[in-house]
Amino acid sequence: MSAGKAGQPSLLFTPGESLLHRANPITSLALMLWMISAAAVLPTIGTTILTAAAILVSLVTGVGKRAVKRLLLTMTPIGVALVVVHGLLIERPDFYDHGLVSISPSGLDYALRVFMRVAAMLMATLLFVTTTHPADMLKALDQRGVPPGVGYLVASPLLLIEPFSDRAKAIRDAQRVRGLDMTGSWKARIKALPVLLMPLITLALSDLDQRASVLSGRAFRALPRRTVINAPHDSTFQLWLRRLLFTLAVLQLGIPLLWR
Amino acid sequence: MLTVDDVTFAYAPGAPVLSDVTFHVPPGQVVAIVGRNGAGKSTLLRLLNGLYQPATGAIVVNGNATSDTPVHLLARSIGTVFQAPEQQIFNAKVVDEIAFGPKQLGLTGKALDERVGAVLERIGLAGEAETHPLDIDASARRMVAIGSVLAMQPPVLLLDEAQRGLDKAAIDRLAKIIADEKARGTTVLLVCHDMDFVARNADRVLGLARGRLAADLSTEGFFTDAALTAAIGVEVPDMVSLSAALGLAPALSPERFAAAWMARNEA
Amino acid sequence: MALIDVADLAFRFPRAKELVLDGITLSIEAGERVAILAPNAAGKTTLARWLSGLLPEGVLTAERGHVAMAGKPFAEWSVAERATAIQFVGQVPSQQLTGCAFTVYEEIAFGPCNLALPEAEVRARVDEALTICNLRHLAERDPFTLSGGETQRLSIAAALAMKPRVLVLDEPTSNLDPESRDDLLAQLDLLPGGLTIIVLEVALRPSLALAKRFLLLDQGRIVADGTASEVLNDPRCIETLGMTAVTEAAFRLREAGRWPDATLLPLTLNEALDSFGAPRAHG
Repeated sequence: MSAGKAGQPSLLFTPGESLLHRANPITSLALMLWMISAAAVLPTIGTTILTAAAILVSLVTGVGKRAVKRLLLTMTPIGVALVVVHGLLIERPDFYDHGLVSISPSGLDYALRVFMRVAAMLMATLLFVTTTHPADMLKALDQRGVPPGVGYLVASPLLLIEPFSDRAKAIRDAQRVRGLDMTGSWKARIKALPVLLMPLITLALSDLDQRASVLSGRAFRALPRRTVINAPHDSTFQLWLRRLLFTLAVLQLGIPLLWR
Repeated sequence: MLTVDDVTFAYAPGAPVLSDVTFHVPPGQVVAIVGRNGAGKSTLLRLLNGLYQPATGAIVVNGNATSDTPVHLLARSIGTVFQAPEQQIFNAKVVDEIAFGPKQLGLTGKALDERVGAVLERIGLAGEAETHPLDIDASARRMVAIGSVLAMQPPVLLLDEAQRGLDKAAIDRLAKIIADEKARGTTVLLVCHDMDFVARNADRVLGLARGRLAADLSTEGFFTDAALTAAIGVEVPDMVSLSAALGLAPALSPERFAAAWMARNEA
Repeated sequence: MALIDVADLAFRFPRAKELVLDGITLSIEAGERVAILAPNAAGKTTLARWLSGLLPEGVLTAERGHVAMAGKPFAEWSVAERATAIQFVGQVPSQQLTGCAFTVYEEIAFGPCNLALPEAEVRARVDEALTICNLRHLAERDPFTLSGGETQRLSIAAALAMKPRVLVLDEPTSNLDPESRDDLLAQLDLLPGGLTIIVLEVALRPSLALAKRFLLLDQGRIVADGTASEVLNDPRCIETLGMTAVTEAAFRLREAGRWPDATLLPLTLNEALDSFGAPRAHG
């Protein structure tokens, strides 16, 4: 199955055969939620270990390249911003003059804490989306009796991104061969915008209408449940693991709140 | 005037969609490009109007090489009517849609009005000038798309399946437009599945098979070569089959068939 | 009682001046193969949607009359009942996709899954539809990456997987090259005789191979109803849709007084070969 999915819309999904790839998507989801909840409460050392562990897992499962690249792309600007704001800009009692700039160690400490927390949460999410194909997630939701309308709401944006951008490209081409200049000045390009957007919007509206009628023709939401084919594998072990992870996720968040 | 010289094109390395395609089309000739789904017709069309660039070889349209003319300037030399008119229509009135192209060319005032009026007449929508293009029937919308290109008076005209879904009146109108353009010296290229339409309207047929130019013949010569039409995967028009079965010279239209039949049975 | 009954149906779009359908009355029996021919702007697609039960819908209601299947007006059918009784395939291939499936296989399975059929039944139906529409080699592809002709075959496959009693096809072969078209028509011909097929066409030739009964729709009215020869030779059909090339050739001979009065004008090549006394090309 996985090999055939290479050509399908999947955003960050990277095919593979690892434990995480084979796990039921709901189990992967539970793992992600537990990690996010842990990242929310752990001290900096904990979130650092968590992030490192997640990166290690991503490397082992073969999604490392994609996940780490995305992590660096997102975290680098956040890191710079945090250091500048909390280390240099916000005035704190422990400002320490280095000649050119004043640095606050407690500010840096705070910046690091936030940075690692966000990194751990992001890495948890990346681990999930790189190892779980949206189609399998949709099936897992269907299988658990989630109303078909909800599953569709999740899946259709993913599915329709590609035809929508193809359509946009086709319209752009059609207008270029009619003499519309899209290489010129910014003014020319802004003037060209309505010419491109009008057909895109009218066609999207007419598509919505059509799609509603196609869906009703195929009995979508006619019954409360639908059959799931190629249902993702599940097991009693995974069921208990999920219960444990969900419980931990809630307790981790709840206990510190009660303590205070 | 159109020159295609030894053109090769591939979307991915090692998998050419078109290979070694060479042909020249003089002004005032109507040429049909035929072949199976996936034979490379659409790709060729997009090379001709500059949306794609050939990997090797050269395409010259009315003296402009597609490789060094921006698409929007090449549009003055080659007009394209795509299959889906909805993708190019954006004005709220039919008349504005037709006027868009000539305005880009700098036409204003009386010259603009005259040109737009003449085009509306030719596409049979003079009475719908103020209507929203999406409020008219799909076939009329295709006519709007054709009109918007005719209004730019390009020396080369590309029609992609323009006859599809048209009724008799609209087909006759399209045939008249093609004949008029031919008489004006326009080079007309038809990408077309309907071989009866090809037989009646084209002077010459280019047959594509697996990305290669497998046929470049007069329409008559093409349809009378049974092995060739089979290899390219197109139907022989009924008139050609019927005249062959009766031992008559190949007829491309019912008119010519009837004339040939009467001429022989007179003698 | 006929399978589909249209009783004096009149319909206009909101705020439109003129009626799109102006008093349509017709009956279609189970198992019939019907072609509804119509010039542009005659109301073809609108009639197709009424015949398929997709109308009435919301504010789009009949001015008078109704469409009933098996004696029950469509307005009284549940979505699931209707979806298993009748399937409509529209003319723009990409607009027939659900947008809910990541593969061709899942697109075909989508409808049967919505009916909550057992998994084995779903698979059997998808398998059959893949074969009929020659899509097996594309089963794992993303539906939105297919060509126009492939998408058209996919939308017909998805309709067949619902095992409807009636299939309504709006210009089903317009995006296909001759080989794919002939394959599809041959496969449709092989379908169990119980399936009622209604095609709507602007062109004359495609339905000659498939339909036994022809109707002519013009300006929102049914103006002719009969065999291919009756309808295609009807002056109103000739005026709006023209003639096939062979008919036109014979017609020109008749105009010149060179066609025997007793002989009907041929519609297809084989009929023409017969009337001209030439050997048939293929059987």
